Amino acid sequence: MTYAASNYITVFDKWDDQKTFFCFTPEDAKRLSDFHPFAEKHVDEVVDGLYAHLLKFEEAQMFLDDAETLRRLKIAQRRYFLELTSGCYEEEYYENRIKVGVTHQRMGIPPRLYMGAYSYYLQLMIPLIYQYLGDDLEKANTTFSAMYKIINLDQELAMSAYIHAVEDVISKQTEEILEMSTPVIQVWEGVVATPIIGTLDSQRAQQFMEHLLEKIVESKSPIALIDITGVPQIDTATAQHLIDTINAVKLLGSKVIITGIRPAIAQTLVHLGINLQGIITKPSMSAGLKVALEMLAVGNTGFNKTN
Amino acid sequence: MTMDGKQQGELPIISESDIVACRKVIRTLSTNAGFGITDVTRIVTAVSELARNIYVHAECGKMRWNIMHQPGKIGIELIFEDNGQGIADIEQAMQPGFSTVKSMGMGLPGVKRLMDEMRIDSIAGAGSTVTIKKWARAR
Ligand SMILES: Nc1ncnc2c1ncn2[C@@H]1O[C@H](COP(=O)(O)OP(=O)(O)OP(=O)(O)O)[C@@H](O)[C@H]1O
Ligand SMILES: [Mg+2]
Repeated sequence: MTYAASNYITVFDKWDDQKTFFCFTPEDAKRLSDFHPFAEKHVDEVVDGLYAHLLKFEEAQMFLDDAETLRRLKIAQRRYFLELTSGCYEEEYYENRIKVGVTHQRMGIPPRLYMGAYSYYLQLMIPLIYQYLGDDLEKANTTFSAMYKIINLDQELAMSAYIHAVEDVISKQTEEILEMSTPVIQVWEGVVATPIIGTLDSQRAQQFMEHLLEKIVESKSPIALIDITGVPQIDTATAQHLIDTINAVKLLGSKVIITGIRPAIAQTLVHLGINLQGIITKPSMSAGLKVALEMLAVGNTGFNKTN
Repeated sequence: MTMDGKQQGELPIISESDIVACRKVIRTLSTNAGFGITDVTRIVTAVSELARNIYVHAECGKMRWNIMHQPGKIGIELIFEDNGQGIADIEQAMQPGFSTVKSMGMGLPGVKRLMDEMRIDSIAGAGSTVTIKKWARAR
């Protein structure tokens, strides 16, 4: 598992720095592991107490609705609880905590349930610590402080993993939208058409070009119509993307007709000094299609059929 | 007047999506100020050029905007500021076709034609400020 690509999750290489940043020391680890035998003795009590509490809330009930789920969750929770005082907070610990965040996000469990459950956890734990170490208040306090720090570290990882998981969903959706936003349709034997809607930024331009070139080859179309009715403005960067695309299409032996240049855009193109000479432009998609069909009829295209 | 009556503001230019944001804000502002569709397209295109210049040549900076009222006319002033490498020779940078990044080199001269006023201040090595204005008859 690698989370290096996320902006949020601490990479494992930095996990030790993270502990230092959270003031979690080897002494803290030692104190927690000293407490471990006592935690082990009380684990069922804590876990049962936690779920009894959660089940009082409708929102939590939704995720705990059958006995089997509850049984599995209790086993996981038991392990989670015992890991808190295991004394070993290395790679396995780190990865488990991230998994918790990711799993919660996938199941649609909102962060507030996770945080609320943790709050209750601590509530159950504090009396246990003082019960166990009551006659050494200094030790009880430092153990509590160590517990508090490891819980903060835990929560940070889980929350970052949540964000990472959401980020993942967003970037997948963005990719899908990108793909959908540059459809290339075969409108006629030998003619593909593609409407550009919105802005052609560099990422989209690249995708658009690849898509169009693939479709031209696949359908053996000598003519491609690019409709820019839905483009609000064309600056030099967008124009360059368009010109690059047109040149690439030419290399395949096909021709581009640009349609739907609005008057305001035509004027800005002139002001910008962008030269569309040698490129066939038509005011509307239908006018473009008409020209395309005429060109096909007289064989005025150079598409190389062996492509 | 702008929709919420605000007469000035600023936007950061750090990522490519900020260029989109700048265009969007200025499109709304200039439309509400009373510019016609052709002028709005001109202004927004100029914004796109100058914001992209910051993103490409200076990495980051900001755009400040200002709605100006004068007897019988209304104007928009846009100031693009960055602390980037600066423009060593402004006259050369204004030449159509001059580019240090093998791009078209039409951005700056294009903006001058699109807008009513344009001014470049730059110190090589310390950054650039490009100020542009466009006027419309008050409604
Ligand atoms: N904000 C800036 N900071 C530093 N240098 C700049 C800045 N803006 C423009 N320049 C310089 O001026 C040159 C000309 O700018 P211009 O916008 O005309 O062309 P370009 O950005 O290179 O290409 P394009 O036609 O795609 O805009 C740039 O190549 C760059 O060297
Ligand atoms: Mg430029």
